[in-house]
Amino acid sequence: MLGYVRLELARVLRDVTFLVFGVAMPTVMYLIFTTLGLAPGDGRQEVALFIMVSMAAYGGMGSAFNNGTGLGEDRATGWLRQLRLTPLSPTAVLAGKTVTGMVVVVPGIAAVLLAGVLINDVTLRPAQWVAIVALLWLGTIPFTLFGLGNGYRLTGQSAGLANLAATMGLAVAGGLWLPIERFPGWLKAIAQWTPTHNYADIARHVAFGQSPTLRSALILLGWLLVLGMYARYGYRYAGRRA
Amino acid sequence: MSSEAVSLTELTKTYGTVRAVHGLNLDIPSGQTVALLGPNGAGKSTTIGMMLGLVEPDSGRAAIFGGPAEQALRDGRMGAMPQEGGLPSRVTVQELLRFVAGTYRAPLPLEDVLAAARLTGEAGRRVDRLSGGQAQRVRFALALVGDPDLLILDEPTAALDVEARRRFWEGMRRFAARGKTVLFSTHYLEEADEHADRIVVVDRGRVVADGTSREIKRVAALTTVSLTVSGDSTTWLRELPGVTSVELRGGRAHLRCTDSDATVAAIAAAGAIRDLEVAPADLEDAFVALTAGSAATPALEGTSL
Repeated sequence: MLGYVRLELARVLRDVTFLVFGVAMPTVMYLIFTTLGLAPGDGRQEVALFIMVSMAAYGGMGSAFNNGTGLGEDRATGWLRQLRLTPLSPTAVLAGKTVTGMVVVVPGIAAVLLAGVLINDVTLRPAQWVAIVALLWLGTIPFTLFGLGNGYRLTGQSAGLANLAATMGLAVAGGLWLPIERFPGWLKAIAQWTPTHNYADIARHVAFGQSPTLRSALILLGWLLVLGMYARYGYRYAGRRA
Repeated sequence: MSSEAVSLTELTKTYGTVRAVHGLNLDIPSGQTVALLGPNGAGKSTTIGMMLGLVEPDSGRAAIFGGPAEQALRDGRMGAMPQEGGLPSRVTVQELLRFVAGTYRAPLPLEDVLAAARLTGEAGRRVDRLSGGQAQRVRFALALVGDPDLLILDEPTAALDVEARRRFWEGMRRFAARGKTVLFSTHYLEEADEHADRIVVVDRGRVVADGTSREIKRVAALTTVSLTVSGDSTTWLRELPGVTSVELRGGRAHLRCTDSDATVAAIAAAGAIRDLEVAPADLEDAFVALTAGSAATPALEGTSL
Protein backbone atom coordinates (compact mmCIF):
# COMPACT_ATOMS: atom_id res chain seq x y z
CA MET A 1 0.00 0.00 0.00
CA LEU A 2 2.91 2.36 0.71
CA GLY A 3 4.09 1.85 -2.85
CA TYR A 4 0.67 2.94 -4.02
CA VAL A 5 0.71 6.03 -1.83
CA ARG A 6 4.17 6.90 -3.18
CA LEU A 7 2.96 6.52 -6.77
CA GLU A 8 -0.13 8.63 -6.07
CA LEU A 9 1.89 11.38 -4.41
CA ALA A 10 4.25 11.55 -7.38
CA ARG A 11 1.22 11.91 -9.63
CA VAL A 12 -0.33 14.67 -7.50
CA LEU A 13 2.87 16.71 -7.43
CA ARG A 14 2.88 16.72 -11.24
CA ASP A 15 -0.75 17.78 -11.36
CA VAL A 16 -1.04 21.41 -12.38
CA THR A 17 -4.68 21.56 -11.24
CA PHE A 18 -3.60 20.57 -7.76
CA LEU A 19 -0.80 23.13 -7.60
CA VAL A 20 -3.01 25.93 -8.92
CA PHE A 21 -6.30 25.24 -7.14
CA GLY A 22 -5.05 23.45 -4.06
CA VAL A 23 -2.01 25.56 -3.18
CA ALA A 24 -1.63 28.75 -5.19
CA MET A 25 -5.25 29.88 -5.28
CA PRO A 26 -6.01 29.85 -1.53
CA THR A 27 -2.71 31.58 -0.83
CA VAL A 28 -3.30 34.28 -3.42
CA MET A 29 -6.91 34.73 -2.28
CA TYR A 30 -5.68 35.07 1.28
CA LEU A 31 -3.25 37.80 0.30
CA ILE A 32 -5.86 39.61 -1.79
CA PHE A 33 -8.49 39.52 0.96
CA THR A 34 -6.08 40.70 3.63
CA THR A 35 -4.30 43.42 1.66
CA LEU A 36 -7.06 44.93 -0.48
CA GLY A 37 -10.11 44.45 1.64
CA LEU A 38 -9.01 46.36 4.69
CA ALA A 39 -8.90 49.92 5.92
CA PRO A 40 -5.66 50.53 7.86
CA GLY A 41 -5.84 50.15 11.62
CA ASP A 42 -9.15 48.31 11.36
CA GLY A 43 -8.25 45.36 13.60
CA ARG A 44 -5.86 44.20 10.94
CA GLN A 45 -4.21 41.45 12.92
CA GLU A 46 -7.49 39.87 13.85
CA VAL A 47 -8.80 39.89 10.32
CA ALA A 48 -5.50 38.48 9.03
CA LEU A 49 -5.80 35.66 11.53
CA PHE A 50 -9.49 35.02 10.82
CA ILE A 51 -9.03 34.86 7.06
CA MET A 52 -5.84 32.83 7.41
CA VAL A 53 -7.81 30.03 9.04
CA SER A 54 -10.62 30.35 6.46
CA MET A 55 -8.29 30.16 3.48
CA ALA A 56 -6.19 27.35 4.95
CA ALA A 57 -9.42 25.44 5.45
CA TYR A 58 -10.43 26.25 1.87
CA GLY A 59 -7.05 25.05 0.53
CA GLY A 60 -7.18 21.84 2.56
CA MET A 61 -10.73 21.11 1.48
CA GLY A 62 -9.97 21.80 -2.20
CA SER A 63 -7.04 19.38 -2.21
CA ALA A 64 -9.11 16.76 -0.41
CA PHE A 65 -11.78 16.93 -3.11
CA ASN A 66 -9.19 17.01 -5.89
CA ASN A 67 -7.86 13.70 -4.59
CA GLY A 68 -11.28 12.17 -5.20
CA THR A 69 -11.42 13.65 -8.69
CA GLY A 70 -8.20 11.80 -9.50
CA LEU A 71 -9.85 8.56 -8.45
CA GLY A 72 -12.78 9.24 -10.79
CA GLU A 73 -10.34 9.76 -13.64
CA ASP A 74 -8.56 6.51 -12.83
CA ARG A 75 -11.85 4.72 -12.95
CA ALA A 76 -12.72 6.28 -16.30
CA THR A 77 -9.38 5.39 -17.91
CA GLY A 78 -9.53 1.79 -16.67
CA TRP A 79 -6.49 2.12 -14.39
CA LEU A 80 -8.58 1.10 -11.40
CA ARG A 81 -9.63 -2.02 -13.28
CA GLN A 82 -6.00 -2.81 -14.10
CA LEU A 83 -5.13 -2.23 -10.47
CA ARG A 84 -7.69 -4.80 -9.41
CA LEU A 85 -5.73 -7.39 -11.36
CA THR A 86 -2.63 -6.92 -9.19
CA PRO A 87 -2.19 -8.47 -5.74
CA LEU A 88 -3.21 -5.11 -4.24
CA SER A 89 -6.73 -5.51 -2.84
CA PRO A 90 -9.45 -2.93 -3.58
CA THR A 91 -9.56 -2.18 0.15
CA ALA A 92 -5.85 -1.38 0.09
CA VAL A 93 -6.48 0.97 -2.83
CA LEU A 94 -9.20 2.77 -0.84
CA ALA A 95 -6.93 2.97 2.20
CA GLY A 96 -4.03 4.17 0.04
CA LYS A 97 -6.20 6.83 -1.54
CA THR A 98 -7.38 8.01 1.89
CA VAL A 99 -3.81 8.25 3.16
CA THR A 100 -2.83 10.11 -0.01
CA GLY A 101 -5.75 12.47 0.61
CA MET A 102 -4.42 13.18 4.07
CA VAL A 103 -0.97 14.02 2.71
CA VAL A 104 -2.01 16.17 -0.24
CA VAL A 105 -4.01 18.57 1.93
CA VAL A 106 -0.85 19.60 3.76
CA PRO A 107 0.76 21.92 1.13
CA GLY A 108 -2.35 24.09 0.73
CA ILE A 109 -2.82 24.48 4.48
CA ALA A 110 0.91 25.07 5.04
CA ALA A 111 1.18 27.65 2.24
CA VAL A 112 -1.61 29.81 3.68
CA LEU A 113 -0.32 29.56 7.25
CA LEU A 114 3.18 30.47 6.05
CA ALA A 115 1.79 33.47 4.17
CA GLY A 116 0.06 34.46 7.40
CA VAL A 117 3.29 34.33 9.35
CA LEU A 118 5.68 35.74 6.75
CA ILE A 119 3.55 38.36 5.06
CA ASN A 120 0.80 39.30 7.52
CA ASP A 121 2.88 38.86 10.70
CA VAL A 122 0.35 36.58 12.34
CA THR A 123 1.65 35.57 15.76
CA LEU A 124 0.33 32.73 17.87
CA ARG A 125 1.66 30.74 20.78
CA PRO A 126 3.44 27.50 19.72
CA ALA A 127 0.69 25.40 21.32
CA GLN A 128 -1.89 27.29 19.28
CA TRP A 129 0.03 26.65 16.06
CA VAL A 130 0.26 22.95 16.82
CA ALA A 131 -3.44 22.81 17.61
CA ILE A 132 -4.69 24.66 14.53
CA VAL A 133 -2.40 22.74 12.20
CA ALA A 134 -3.67 19.47 13.67
CA LEU A 135 -7.32 20.58 13.54
CA LEU A 136 -7.09 21.95 10.01
CA TRP A 137 -5.37 18.76 8.92
CA LEU A 138 -7.65 16.20 10.59
CA GLY A 139 -10.73 18.21 9.68
CA THR A 140 -10.14 17.49 5.98
CA ILE A 141 -11.00 13.80 6.44
CA PRO A 142 -14.77 14.24 5.86
CA PHE A 143 -14.00 16.11 2.62
CA THR A 144 -11.51 13.46 1.51
CA LEU A 145 -14.22 10.84 2.02
CA PHE A 146 -16.78 12.98 0.19
CA GLY A 147 -14.38 13.36 -2.75
CA LEU A 148 -13.58 9.64 -2.84
CA GLY A 149 -17.28 8.79 -2.72
CA ASN A 150 -17.83 11.01 -5.77
CA GLY A 151 -14.78 9.52 -7.46
CA TYR A 152 -16.05 5.98 -6.99
CA ARG A 153 -19.65 6.71 -7.84
CA LEU A 154 -19.21 9.09 -10.76
CA THR A 155 -16.74 8.85 -13.61
CA GLY A 156 -14.09 11.18 -14.94
CA GLN A 157 -15.53 14.55 -15.82
CA SER A 158 -18.69 14.28 -13.76
CA ALA A 159 -16.65 13.38 -10.66
CA GLY A 160 -14.48 16.43 -11.31
CA LEU A 161 -17.51 18.69 -11.72
CA ALA A 162 -19.22 17.31 -8.63
CA ASN A 163 -16.09 17.85 -6.56
CA LEU A 164 -15.56 21.35 -7.89
CA ALA A 165 -19.18 22.23 -7.20
CA ALA A 166 -18.90 20.77 -3.69
CA THR A 167 -15.68 22.72 -3.03
CA MET A 168 -17.18 26.02 -4.16
CA GLY A 169 -20.60 25.42 -2.65
CA LEU A 170 -19.26 24.38 0.73
CA ALA A 171 -16.71 27.20 0.75
CA VAL A 172 -19.42 29.81 0.17
CA ALA A 173 -22.13 28.24 2.34
CA GLY A 174 -19.69 27.55 5.16
CA GLY A 175 -18.46 31.14 5.22
CA LEU A 176 -14.88 30.52 4.11
CA TRP A 177 -14.96 33.34 1.57
CA LEU A 178 -17.33 35.72 3.36
CA PRO A 179 -17.89 35.45 7.09
CA ILE A 180 -21.32 34.08 7.93
CA GLU A 181 -21.96 37.07 10.20
CA ARG A 182 -22.72 38.99 6.99
CA PHE A 183 -25.16 36.34 5.74
CA PRO A 184 -28.93 36.89 5.81
CA GLY A 185 -30.57 35.05 8.71
CA TRP A 186 -31.83 32.03 6.79
CA LEU A 187 -28.47 31.41 5.11
CA LYS A 188 -26.68 31.84 8.39
CA ALA A 189 -28.89 29.17 9.91
CA ILE A 190 -27.96 26.77 7.12
CA ALA A 191 -24.28 27.71 7.26
CA GLN A 192 -24.05 26.70 10.89
CA TRP A 193 -24.80 23.11 9.93
CA THR A 194 -22.27 22.86 7.09
CA PRO A 195 -19.11 20.81 7.59
CA THR A 196 -17.03 23.71 6.28
CA HIS A 197 -18.21 26.27 8.82
CA ASN A 198 -17.68 23.92 11.73
CA TYR A 199 -14.33 22.70 10.39
CA ALA A 200 -12.99 26.25 10.17
CA ASP A 201 -14.73 27.38 13.33
CA ILE A 202 -13.00 24.81 15.53
CA ALA A 203 -9.59 26.04 14.37
CA ARG A 204 -10.68 29.69 14.63
CA HIS A 205 -11.69 29.28 18.24
CA VAL A 206 -8.23 27.95 19.03
CA ALA A 207 -6.58 30.71 17.01
CA PHE A 208 -8.45 33.33 19.03
CA GLY A 209 -7.59 31.68 22.31
CA GLN A 210 -11.00 30.14 22.98
CA SER A 211 -11.85 26.49 23.29
CA PRO A 212 -13.80 24.98 20.37
CA THR A 213 -17.50 24.42 20.90
CA LEU A 214 -18.83 20.95 21.46
CA ARG A 215 -21.54 21.71 18.94
CA SER A 216 -19.02 22.20 16.12
CA ALA A 217 -17.15 19.06 17.08
CA LEU A 218 -20.36 17.01 17.11
CA ILE A 219 -21.59 18.38 13.78
CA LEU A 220 -18.23 17.66 12.15
CA LEU A 221 -18.24 14.17 13.63
CA GLY A 222 -21.74 13.67 12.23
CA TRP A 223 -20.51 14.69 8.79
CA LEU A 224 -17.55 12.35 9.14
CA LEU A 225 -19.92 9.45 9.72
CA VAL A 226 -22.32 10.39 6.93
CA LEU A 227 -19.57 11.00 4.38
CA GLY A 228 -17.73 7.89 5.51
CA MET A 229 -20.86 5.89 4.71
CA TYR A 230 -21.12 7.69 1.38
CA ALA A 231 -17.52 6.77 0.50
CA ARG A 232 -18.21 3.18 1.49
CA TYR A 233 -21.34 3.12 -0.64
CA GLY A 234 -19.43 4.58 -3.60
CA TYR A 235 -16.65 2.06 -3.14
CA ARG A 236 -19.10 -0.85 -3.20
CA TYR A 237 -20.94 0.63 -6.16
CA ALA A 238 -17.67 0.88 -8.09
CA GLY A 239 -16.69 -2.65 -7.08
CA ARG A 240 -19.75 -4.04 -8.79
CA ARG A 241 -18.83 -2.26 -12.01
CA ALA A 242 -15.09 -2.81 -11.86
CA MET B 1 -9.74 -30.31 -10.42
CA SER B 2 -7.17 -28.14 -8.67
CA SER B 3 -4.49 -29.28 -11.15
CA GLU B 4 -6.32 -27.20 -13.76
CA ALA B 5 -5.11 -23.66 -14.21
CA VAL B 6 -8.59 -22.63 -15.32
CA SER B 7 -11.82 -24.48 -14.77
CA LEU B 8 -15.08 -22.97 -15.97
CA THR B 9 -18.27 -24.88 -15.22
CA GLU B 10 -21.63 -24.03 -16.76
CA LEU B 11 -20.85 -20.32 -16.76
CA THR B 12 -23.78 -18.08 -17.64
CA LYS B 13 -24.01 -14.32 -17.87
CA THR B 14 -26.93 -12.33 -19.20
CA TYR B 15 -26.98 -8.59 -19.85
CA GLY B 16 -30.58 -7.47 -20.09
CA THR B 17 -32.00 -9.70 -22.79
CA VAL B 18 -28.61 -10.62 -24.26
CA ARG B 19 -27.17 -13.95 -23.22
CA ALA B 20 -23.48 -13.08 -23.41
CA VAL B 21 -22.29 -16.40 -22.02
CA HIS B 22 -24.54 -19.41 -21.97
CA GLY B 23 -23.53 -22.58 -20.13
CA LEU B 24 -19.86 -22.39 -21.01
CA ASN B 25 -17.52 -25.18 -19.89
CA LEU B 26 -13.76 -25.07 -20.24
CA ASP B 27 -10.83 -26.68 -18.46
CA ILE B 28 -7.28 -25.59 -19.12
CA PRO B 29 -4.47 -27.67 -17.64
CA SER B 30 -1.29 -25.91 -16.56
CA GLY B 31 1.25 -25.28 -19.29
CA GLN B 32 -1.08 -24.93 -22.25
CA THR B 33 -1.31 -21.96 -24.57
CA VAL B 34 -4.95 -21.62 -25.49
CA ALA B 35 -6.63 -19.32 -27.97
CA LEU B 36 -10.19 -18.27 -27.32
CA LEU B 37 -11.40 -17.69 -30.85
CA GLY B 38 -14.70 -16.17 -31.83
CA PRO B 39 -16.36 -13.30 -33.67
CA ASN B 40 -17.17 -10.02 -31.96
CA GLY B 41 -20.00 -10.49 -29.52
CA ALA B 42 -19.30 -14.20 -29.08
CA GLY B 43 -18.83 -13.76 -25.34
CA LYS B 44 -15.03 -13.86 -25.20
CA SER B 45 -14.55 -10.73 -23.14
CA THR B 46 -17.37 -11.59 -20.76
CA THR B 47 -15.86 -15.03 -20.26
CA ILE B 48 -12.47 -13.50 -19.56
CA GLY B 49 -14.09 -10.96 -17.22
CA MET B 50 -15.53 -13.83 -15.20
CA MET B 51 -12.15 -15.63 -15.15
CA LEU B 52 -10.56 -12.47 -13.76
CA GLY B 53 -13.29 -11.95 -11.18
CA LEU B 54 -14.28 -8.62 -12.75
CA VAL B 55 -17.68 -9.93 -13.87
CA GLU B 56 -19.93 -11.85 -11.52
CA PRO B 57 -21.49 -14.88 -13.30
CA ASP B 58 -25.28 -15.32 -13.04
CA SER B 59 -24.69 -19.01 -12.48
CA GLY B 60 -21.87 -21.51 -12.80
CA ARG B 61 -18.38 -21.38 -11.43
CA ALA B 62 -15.05 -19.98 -12.56
CA ALA B 63 -12.08 -21.46 -10.70
CA ILE B 64 -8.48 -20.40 -11.14
CA PHE B 65 -6.00 -22.91 -9.73
CA GLY B 66 -8.96 -24.46 -7.92
CA GLY B 67 -10.04 -21.28 -6.14
CA PRO B 68 -11.64 -17.91 -6.75
CA ALA B 69 -10.00 -15.41 -9.10
CA GLU B 70 -9.41 -12.95 -6.26
CA GLN B 71 -7.24 -15.50 -4.48
CA ALA B 72 -5.15 -16.21 -7.59
CA LEU B 73 -4.69 -12.45 -8.07
CA ARG B 74 -3.76 -11.84 -4.41
CA ASP B 75 -1.26 -14.69 -4.60
CA GLY B 76 0.24 -13.19 -7.73
CA ARG B 77 -0.45 -16.35 -9.73
CA MET B 78 -2.57 -14.67 -12.42
CA GLY B 79 -1.56 -11.72 -14.57
CA ALA B 80 -3.88 -10.13 -17.06
CA MET B 81 -4.24 -7.67 -19.86
CA PRO B 82 -7.93 -6.82 -19.91
CA GLN B 83 -9.38 -5.12 -22.95
CA GLU B 84 -10.62 -2.13 -21.02
CA GLY B 85 -7.58 -1.82 -18.80
CA GLY B 86 -6.02 1.61 -18.65
CA LEU B 87 -2.92 3.34 -17.44
CA PRO B 88 -2.54 6.12 -14.89
CA SER B 89 -1.57 9.63 -15.92
CA ARG B 90 1.58 11.52 -14.88
CA VAL B 91 3.88 8.56 -14.23
CA THR B 92 6.78 7.19 -16.23
CA VAL B 93 6.87 3.66 -17.59
CA GLN B 94 9.58 2.75 -15.12
CA GLU B 95 7.78 4.21 -12.09
CA LEU B 96 4.62 2.37 -13.03
CA LEU B 97 6.32 -0.98 -13.56
CA ARG B 98 8.35 -0.63 -10.38
CA PHE B 99 5.18 0.06 -8.39
CA VAL B 100 3.27 -2.89 -9.85
CA ALA B 101 6.31 -5.17 -9.42
CA GLY B 102 6.36 -4.13 -5.77
CA THR B 103 2.88 -5.55 -5.22
CA TYR B 104 4.14 -9.07 -6.10
CA ARG B 105 6.21 -11.36 -3.93
CA ALA B 106 8.58 -12.53 -6.65
CA PRO B 107 8.46 -10.17 -9.63
CA LEU B 108 10.66 -10.45 -12.71
CA PRO B 109 13.65 -8.12 -12.90
CA LEU B 110 12.54 -4.79 -14.36
CA GLU B 111 15.10 -4.88 -17.19
CA ASP B 112 13.79 -8.28 -18.31
CA VAL B 113 10.21 -7.03 -18.41
CA LEU B 114 11.20 -3.89 -20.29
CA ALA B 115 13.10 -6.01 -22.79
CA ALA B 116 10.29 -8.57 -23.17
CA ALA B 117 7.78 -5.81 -23.89
CA ARG B 118 10.37 -3.86 -25.94
CA LEU B 119 10.08 -0.80 -23.75
CA THR B 120 13.72 -0.33 -22.76
CA GLY B 121 13.93 2.89 -24.76
CA GLU B 122 10.66 4.17 -23.29
CA ALA B 123 11.44 3.52 -19.60
CA GLY B 124 11.79 7.19 -18.68
CA ARG B 125 8.85 8.43 -20.72
CA ARG B 126 5.52 9.39 -19.29
CA VAL B 127 2.85 6.77 -19.84
CA ASP B 128 0.22 9.30 -20.91
CA ARG B 129 2.48 10.53 -23.73
CA LEU B 130 2.98 7.16 -25.42
CA SER B 131 1.47 6.03 -28.71
CA GLY B 132 -1.37 3.49 -28.71
CA GLY B 133 0.97 0.65 -29.58
CA GLN B 134 3.50 1.63 -26.91
CA ALA B 135 0.75 1.90 -24.30
CA GLN B 136 -0.42 -1.56 -25.24
CA ARG B 137 3.12 -2.85 -24.67
CA VAL B 138 3.08 -1.24 -21.24
CA ARG B 139 -0.13 -3.12 -20.44
CA PHE B 140 1.56 -6.33 -21.58
CA ALA B 141 4.52 -5.53 -19.34
CA LEU B 142 2.12 -4.98 -16.40
CA ALA B 143 0.62 -8.42 -16.98
CA LEU B 144 4.09 -10.02 -17.10
CA VAL B 145 5.90 -8.19 -14.33
CA GLY B 146 4.68 -10.36 -11.46
CA ASP B 147 5.87 -13.51 -13.27
CA PRO B 148 2.42 -15.12 -12.91
CA ASP B 149 1.75 -18.81 -13.59
CA LEU B 150 -1.28 -17.92 -15.67
CA LEU B 151 -1.39 -15.08 -18.15
CA ILE B 152 -4.72 -13.93 -19.58
CA LEU B 153 -4.71 -11.60 -22.57
CA ASP B 154 -7.91 -10.16 -24.01
CA GLU B 155 -7.32 -9.35 -27.69
CA PRO B 156 -3.72 -8.41 -26.96
CA THR B 157 -2.81 -7.36 -30.50
CA ALA B 158 -5.91 -5.32 -31.32
CA ALA B 159 -4.08 -1.97 -31.61
CA LEU B 160 -0.81 -3.24 -33.07
CA ASP B 161 0.48 -3.14 -36.63
CA VAL B 162 1.81 -6.24 -38.36
CA GLU B 163 5.42 -5.89 -37.25
CA ALA B 164 4.50 -5.03 -33.65
CA ARG B 165 2.17 -8.00 -33.64
CA ARG B 166 4.91 -10.37 -34.74
CA ARG B 167 7.22 -9.11 -32.02
CA PHE B 168 4.46 -9.30 -29.45
CA TRP B 169 3.99 -12.99 -30.13
CA GLU B 170 7.73 -13.57 -29.82
CA GLY B 171 7.58 -12.12 -26.31
CA MET B 172 4.49 -14.12 -25.45
CA ARG B 173 6.05 -17.38 -26.66
CA ARG B 174 9.22 -16.81 -24.65
CA PHE B 175 7.02 -16.40 -21.60
CA ALA B 176 4.96 -19.51 -22.36
CA ALA B 177 8.14 -21.53 -22.97
CA ARG B 178 8.91 -21.24 -19.27
CA GLY B 179 6.07 -23.65 -18.51
CA LYS B 180 3.45 -20.94 -18.06
CA THR B 181 -0.21 -21.19 -18.92
CA VAL B 182 -1.43 -18.59 -21.40
CA LEU B 183 -4.95 -17.87 -22.55
CA PHE B 184 -5.53 -15.23 -25.20
CA SER B 185 -8.63 -14.19 -27.07
CA THR B 186 -8.57 -13.16 -30.67
CA HIS B 187 -10.70 -12.94 -33.75
CA TYR B 188 -7.67 -13.37 -35.97
CA LEU B 189 -7.57 -16.95 -37.19
CA GLU B 190 -3.89 -16.90 -38.09
CA GLU B 191 -2.98 -15.88 -34.55
CA ALA B 192 -4.90 -18.77 -33.06
CA ASP B 193 -3.48 -21.12 -35.68
CA GLU B 194 0.13 -20.07 -35.22
CA HIS B 195 0.47 -19.30 -31.54
CA ALA B 196 -1.83 -21.63 -29.63
CA ASP B 197 -1.48 -25.31 -28.70
CA ARG B 198 -5.20 -25.47 -28.52
CA ILE B 199 -8.06 -23.47 -29.99
CA VAL B 200 -11.36 -23.05 -28.26
CA VAL B 201 -13.97 -21.67 -30.63
CA VAL B 202 -16.68 -19.68 -28.88
CA ASP B 203 -19.90 -18.52 -30.42
CA ARG B 204 -23.08 -17.17 -28.85
CA GLY B 205 -21.71 -17.66 -25.41
CA ARG B 206 -20.72 -21.30 -25.64
CA VAL B 207 -17.87 -23.48 -26.77
CA VAL B 208 -18.62 -24.77 -30.27
CA ALA B 209 -15.31 -26.51 -30.91
CA ASP B 210 -12.21 -27.30 -28.95
CA GLY B 211 -8.95 -28.84 -30.17
CA THR B 212 -5.78 -28.26 -32.16
CA SER B 213 -6.22 -26.31 -35.37
CA ARG B 214 -6.08 -29.58 -37.34
CA GLU B 215 -8.77 -31.12 -35.19
CA ILE B 216 -10.95 -28.05 -35.52
CA LYS B 217 -10.78 -28.23 -39.29
CA ARG B 218 -11.76 -31.89 -39.21
CA VAL B 219 -14.58 -31.46 -36.73
CA ALA B 220 -16.02 -28.62 -38.70
CA ALA B 221 -16.91 -31.19 -41.38
CA LEU B 222 -15.55 -29.03 -44.05
CA THR B 223 -14.01 -31.32 -46.56
CA THR B 224 -15.89 -30.56 -49.73
CA VAL B 225 -16.49 -33.17 -52.39
CA SER B 226 -17.73 -31.75 -55.67
CA LEU B 227 -18.84 -33.45 -58.86
CA THR B 228 -20.73 -32.70 -62.03
CA VAL B 229 -24.34 -33.88 -61.95
CA SER B 230 -27.17 -33.82 -64.41
CA GLY B 231 -30.66 -32.78 -63.43
CA ASP B 232 -31.85 -30.89 -60.36
CA SER B 233 -32.52 -33.75 -58.05
CA THR B 234 -30.10 -33.77 -55.11
CA THR B 235 -32.07 -36.08 -52.87
CA TRP B 236 -29.85 -39.09 -53.54
CA LEU B 237 -26.74 -36.99 -52.80
CA ARG B 238 -28.07 -35.93 -49.41
CA GLU B 239 -28.54 -39.57 -48.49
CA LEU B 240 -24.92 -40.52 -49.19
CA PRO B 241 -22.86 -41.50 -46.12
CA GLY B 242 -20.91 -38.68 -44.42
CA VAL B 243 -22.72 -35.82 -46.19
CA THR B 244 -24.05 -32.97 -44.07
CA SER B 245 -25.19 -30.57 -46.78
CA VAL B 246 -25.51 -30.25 -50.52
CA GLU B 247 -25.33 -27.19 -52.68
CA LEU B 248 -25.97 -27.08 -56.40
CA ARG B 249 -24.09 -24.43 -58.42
CA GLY B 250 -23.69 -24.32 -62.19
CA GLY B 251 -24.33 -27.98 -62.77
CA ARG B 252 -21.98 -29.05 -60.01
CA ALA B 253 -22.94 -30.43 -56.63
CA HIS B 254 -20.82 -29.41 -53.64
CA LEU B 255 -21.10 -31.87 -50.76
CA ARG B 256 -19.91 -30.91 -47.32
CA CYS B 257 -18.62 -34.09 -45.68
CA THR B 258 -17.67 -35.38 -42.26
CA ASP B 259 -16.21 -38.54 -43.82
CA SER B 260 -15.14 -37.80 -47.38
CA ASP B 261 -13.69 -41.30 -47.88
CA ALA B 262 -17.08 -42.92 -47.31
CA THR B 263 -18.79 -40.33 -49.47
CA VAL B 264 -16.41 -40.86 -52.37
CA ALA B 265 -16.71 -44.65 -52.06
CA ALA B 266 -20.49 -44.37 -52.20
CA ILE B 267 -20.35 -42.09 -55.26
CA ALA B 268 -18.03 -44.57 -56.95
CA ALA B 269 -20.34 -47.49 -56.08
CA ALA B 270 -23.20 -45.57 -57.67
CA GLY B 271 -21.10 -45.10 -60.79
CA ALA B 272 -21.58 -41.35 -60.55
CA ILE B 273 -17.98 -40.10 -60.57
CA ARG B 274 -17.75 -37.21 -63.01
CA ASP B 275 -15.03 -34.54 -62.61
CA LEU B 276 -14.75 -35.42 -58.92
CA GLU B 277 -12.77 -33.06 -56.67
CA VAL B 278 -12.01 -33.31 -52.97
CA ALA B 279 -11.03 -30.03 -51.27
CA PRO B 280 -9.76 -29.92 -47.69
CA ALA B 281 -10.96 -27.08 -45.48
CA ASP B 282 -8.84 -24.26 -44.18
CA LEU B 283 -9.30 -22.91 -40.69
CA GLU B 284 -11.13 -19.88 -41.98
CA ASP B 285 -13.84 -22.05 -43.53
CA ALA B 286 -14.02 -24.07 -40.34
CA PHE B 287 -14.42 -20.93 -38.32
CA VAL B 288 -17.14 -19.53 -40.54
CA ALA B 289 -19.01 -22.81 -40.47
CA LEU B 290 -18.67 -23.16 -36.72
CA THR B 291 -19.86 -19.68 -35.94
CA ALA B 292 -22.51 -19.26 -38.60
CA GLY B 293 -25.06 -20.85 -36.30
CA SER B 294 -26.00 -23.23 -39.12
CA ALA B 295 -26.57 -26.97 -38.94
CA ALA B 296 -22.95 -27.36 -37.89
CA THR B 297 -23.55 -26.03 -34.39
CA PRO B 298 -25.90 -28.61 -32.89
CA ALA B 299 -23.81 -31.38 -34.42
CA LEU B 300 -20.77 -30.12 -32.55
CA GLU B 301 -22.27 -29.43 -29.19
CA GLY B 302 -20.43 -31.21 -26.48
CA THR B 303 -17.68 -32.21 -28.84
CA SER B 304 -14.44 -32.52 -26.98
CA LEU B 305 -11.28 -33.53 -28.70
